[in-house]
Amino acid sequence: MNRLRVVLTVVALAVLIVAPIPASAGQPSLLSTTELVEDSYKWDGKTVSFKGEVLQDLMVREDGTWMNLSDDNNTAMGVFVPKDVPVPVISHTEDYRTVGDVVLITGVFHRTCAQHEGETDIHAVSVTVLTPGSSKANPIRRDRVVWLIVLAGLLGLVMRLYYRKPARGTEH
Amino acid sequence: MVRRVWREDFRIIGHYTGLVTIGVGLLMLVPMVTSLVFREWASALDFAISAALTLLVGYVLAFVSRTKSTPGLTHAMVIAAGSWLVAVMLSGVPYMLSGHMKSFLDACFDTLSGYTTTGMFLLQDLDHISQGLNMWRHLLTYVGGQGIVVLALTFLIGSTGGAFKIMVGEGKEEKLEPNVRHIAVLIWRISLIYLGVGTVVLGLIAMANGIKPYLAFFQGAYVFMSAWSTGGFAPYSQNMLYYHSSAMEIASMVFFILGSFNFALHYAIWSGNRKEILRNVEIVSFTITMLTTFSLVCLALMQRGVYPNVVALFRRGFFQLVSGHTTTGQSNIYARTFVREWGPLGMVATTIAMAIGASAASTGGGFKGLRMGIIVKGIATDIRKLLSPERAVVTGHYHHLHDNVLSDAVVKSAAVIVVLYVLIYVVGAVVGMAYGYPMADAFFDSVSAGSNTGLSCGVTQAGMPTLLKIVYMLEMWMGRLEFLSVFTLFGFIATSVRSMRLSKATA
Repeated sequence: MNRLRVVLTVVALAVLIVAPIPASAGQPSLLSTTELVEDSYKWDGKTVSFKGEVLQDLMVREDGTWMNLSDDNNTAMGVFVPKDVPVPVISHTEDYRTVGDVVLITGVFHRTCAQHEGETDIHAVSVTVLTPGSSKANPIRRDRVVWLIVLAGLLGLVMRLYYRKPARGTEH
Repeated sequence: MVRRVWREDFRIIGHYTGLVTIGVGLLMLVPMVTSLVFREWASALDFAISAALTLLVGYVLAFVSRTKSTPGLTHAMVIAAGSWLVAVMLSGVPYMLSGHMKSFLDACFDTLSGYTTTGMFLLQDLDHISQGLNMWRHLLTYVGGQGIVVLALTFLIGSTGGAFKIMVGEGKEEKLEPNVRHIAVLIWRISLIYLGVGTVVLGLIAMANGIKPYLAFFQGAYVFMSAWSTGGFAPYSQNMLYYHSSAMEIASMVFFILGSFNFALHYAIWSGNRKEILRNVEIVSFTITMLTTFSLVCLALMQRGVYPNVVALFRRGFFQLVSGHTTTGQSNIYARTFVREWGPLGMVATTIAMAIGASAASTGGGFKGLRMGIIVKGIATDIRKLLSPERAVVTGHYHHLHDNVLSDAVVKSAAVIVVLYVLIYVVGAVVGMAYGYPMADAFFDSVSAGSNTGLSCGVTQAGMPTLLKIVYMLEMWMGRLEFLSVFTLFGFIATSVRSMRLSKATA
């Protein structure tokens, strides 16, 4: 009997250790724009998590704030943060010289939002800044400066030939 | 019998192509200044290099092929089609230097899409590009809409006899004024006045919607240039979805409907002939086909219960349909929403609207309302002939600026162009299907490319097959120039090769 108890305990422990327990158990699924748009009917009205870089403008409206979160190459999702949901301080928004803050939002996905006239959006219930943004270096490359000098020199030469007064007796 | 090609022919073509190329080089100074204003030094350098290279090519071409001869019709057609090719390749240089393109072919795809006012793009990471490159993208579409040759005519080429022929080669065949330079100036005056008004209106809306004030007017200008040229680009990857604003969408829609009208109609209205808008065959045709296709879209969306209420259905359905019909391509839904939610009927209705397209001599593409009106009236006239006594003389008429007699030649010429459009739509769709895309998707994107619309249901992206990219590029180019000048260019190349062989044989 004791032996059976030991075996059962070992098996139970093994199952607990090996069994695949999702990291986000109890948490809403973390989804991308592509997944939400491709499976819009499946996720419609469900609470989801979404992570992305804050694009340039935080658009403050009467009833809340719109932010657009970019989560991949040329994909982004509009997130509406109602007035009663606190928005953390967003220190950086994306532009050519800045990497925007990466935020994690949890909210309700709407395939076609009734409040926003059919827009595909997420209404946030919480917003957290995961990674603060930073400045982005776009250094001037020396080889390109050389190219510019060479091309400008050649251009000057050709323009001089083009606008040169024609010699007497020739067509131009 | 096809005539031989002489050295002077090359000179004329080279000289005028060089002048248009110089125009493109000067245009690159605008995004360069934009980059300087926004302190985007690396981007400004890219544009300086591109401008220097383009000007160099332009001046070399114009210098080595100096001539006083004026272009004939064949030259004009070759100049129009050839200038576009040279401009497309050189305009792709700043794209490549930006590091946002996967290949030079992709860069040419985007510049061709801009010049032809299509609006499809393969650019990577659009949300992180410089203001200079964004200005360049929208400037391409704005200038492409009015015609790059028209631009060159305005500033570089004088009032020559051949100049009007080049404009015809670029699809601007309405002779509004006796002097070709005046026509070009007129087109630009109308477009620049609208640019000022549009930038202010859209900029104010953007600011009211929470866009940073220093960016609001730039974004207003970008959205206006895209709308007025029926282009379809937008500064961000979400296109019009970025703004979450019905006011922005309505204002943009007004501008792209105006942009889709014939320049001659604008001129007539500006000259005081306001009744023309009610009688013009193109407006009548556009209204009928728009209402018909929108009814089909409504039916599809209601059948599938896509939108929760009428307001949502109208805001999404009407905007998308009109954007497609005017061949604009701005979008307030995701590309894949067409496939996942609108379904086959919604996609087919939008595809038909794109195929028909905007007005002749406008910034739009497609068959054009004028041709649709002429063909329908031609069919109606033929039916009336059949029903009338044999001796009765039945003639059809259509109203475009004035009453015109509907001759068989006019109907035939309209029908030929429509058949050619259908042909490129089908070829593009067949190639797409051969690569495994579903029929509805393949037709949707092919028609969008051929009609210079720019809406996509997900086929057009950097990872698509290279051959399909090339086919779409050919569709955009032919669709924009309405075939004649492209065919003339091919014919000219063939004739040149034959002439060279003949010269060798006789030597």
